[in-house]
Amino acid sequence: MLEIRDLVCGYGHVNALRGLTIDVREGQLVALVGANGAGKSTTLRAISGLVKARSGAIRFKGRDITKAEPRRILGQGIAHCPEGRRVFPQMTVAENLAMGAYLRRDRAGIAADRERVYGEFPRLAERRDQAAGTLSGGEQQMLAIGRALMARPALVLFDEPSLGLAPNIVERMFAVIGAVRDAGTTVLLVEQNAFAALELCDHAYLIETGRIVLEGSGEALIADPHVRDAYLGG
Amino acid sequence: MSELIQHLVNALILGGTYALLGIGLTLIFGIMNVVNFTHGVLYTVGAYVMYLAVAALGLNFFLAFPVAILGGLLLGAVIETVLLRPFRGSDIDTTMLVMIGAGIAMQSALLWIFGGVAKAIPSPFPETPLQIGPVSVSWLRLFVLGAALVLIGGTYALINRTRLGLAMRAAFQDADTAALMGVNTRWIDTATFAMGSSLAAAAGALLGPVYVVTPQMGGLAELKAFAIVILGGLGNVTGAAIGGFILAIAEELGAGYVSSGYRDAMGFLIIIAVLVYRPTGLFAKAERIG
Repeated sequence: MLEIRDLVCGYGHVNALRGLTIDVREGQLVALVGANGAGKSTTLRAISGLVKARSGAIRFKGRDITKAEPRRILGQGIAHCPEGRRVFPQMTVAENLAMGAYLRRDRAGIAADRERVYGEFPRLAERRDQAAGTLSGGEQQMLAIGRALMARPALVLFDEPSLGLAPNIVERMFAVIGAVRDAGTTVLLVEQNAFAALELCDHAYLIETGRIVLEGSGEALIADPHVRDAYLGG
Repeated sequence: MSELIQHLVNALILGGTYALLGIGLTLIFGIMNVVNFTHGVLYTVGAYVMYLAVAALGLNFFLAFPVAILGGLLLGAVIETVLLRPFRGSDIDTTMLVMIGAGIAMQSALLWIFGGVAKAIPSPFPETPLQIGPVSVSWLRLFVLGAALVLIGGTYALINRTRLGLAMRAAFQDADTAALMGVNTRWIDTATFAMGSSLAAAAGALLGPVYVVTPQMGGLAELKAFAIVILGGLGNVTGAAIGGFILAIAEELGAGYVSSGYRDAMGFLIIIAVLVYRPTGLFAKAERIG
């Protein structure tokens, strides 16, 4: 569904990605794990068009999206739930969800999806008219996930959804992301919490300094001695 | 007492156009991070379009007003597309210099085209003012207030009730994430600058018939707009609206009770006081638009 080939991109003189190749198959939950600064977020930002590729190609459903604008890429069906949640703090919960569906015109469908998000996250329903900036970290992450799903994407990119959350909420977060995959949406998940991501995923990639150094099933990566030593705490 | 009421009525009328000026400037700063030094010229352009339409072409006064607003909208869109879009992502100093240059060039162009002699815009309203008890207000000034209030209300509705307004607020709070939601942030910049410019042109078109029209009239208006924006907090639309009325009240009372020579100094006294005591503006609980 998503093919990334020899992708190079970066900021200024530094290349954050140095020839990255990844495949995401339809219906799968693919995890991209690695250390801080390895290029995980840059990969997602390149897919959604926020960072321009210097070389290489990104194809989605067979179409080249390497040079496309973010809104065209979203229009093709890729939603991005960014690192640090990035909800619009002075907008209400309802307005944030409306932003997720910004490109859609089907009012009835949007309303139905909004109710589905509220059903999944009752806390958001209770606070629908409250400014998003007043929510707790966990609630903001739920809102960010709900907002990404409001686009009705075929593929959703999650960037560090567990970052800075309490352990019990982290668990819930991974359950939600698993449920997104089970509902038929393809997922590309970037995580520093490598163990949880590898347990959940169908396929995984390990990224080090801008390149994929290992790929395989989640179990295979968990069993790998290098991954154990460097990422799973021995 | 009746003198005070008269001053406050005058302030209310002036305040409406000041609020328009301030809202236009604060929108552009808040969403685009551009310090717009063409704002005053856009105000002047609004007045000249009004003059051209009414005095030269003989168009109806009430039709000429929307034409002036439209002129500001189009000119703003052109300025943004030609002068600001190439500098997207540059720092604020760069665009500030570009805008200063554009402002000077446009003001000189107006001087070249229309000459330095002040022009008067004929008003269709009766000469005799409306007398309510001790207070008298000219019909023209009542129209100015009404039109300003309608435009302020319209701007609020656009920002808070429309899809464009939602996208503008999103781009203001987090441009990258707004782009991820599918917002065309370049179009938002053009729309914002055009809208801010049209509000400046509207203010000029409203005050042009009250005073006279000269190529330099925008200079003081622009400084007042900056005073209002600083007063209300940068990027704060409600703050700018209230700030416009506060400045007008300060000017009217200053001119009435201190010295009429100090009328235009009031804005700068306010800027100094605000910068010393409340540098984020009077209403800066959170900087926001809407």
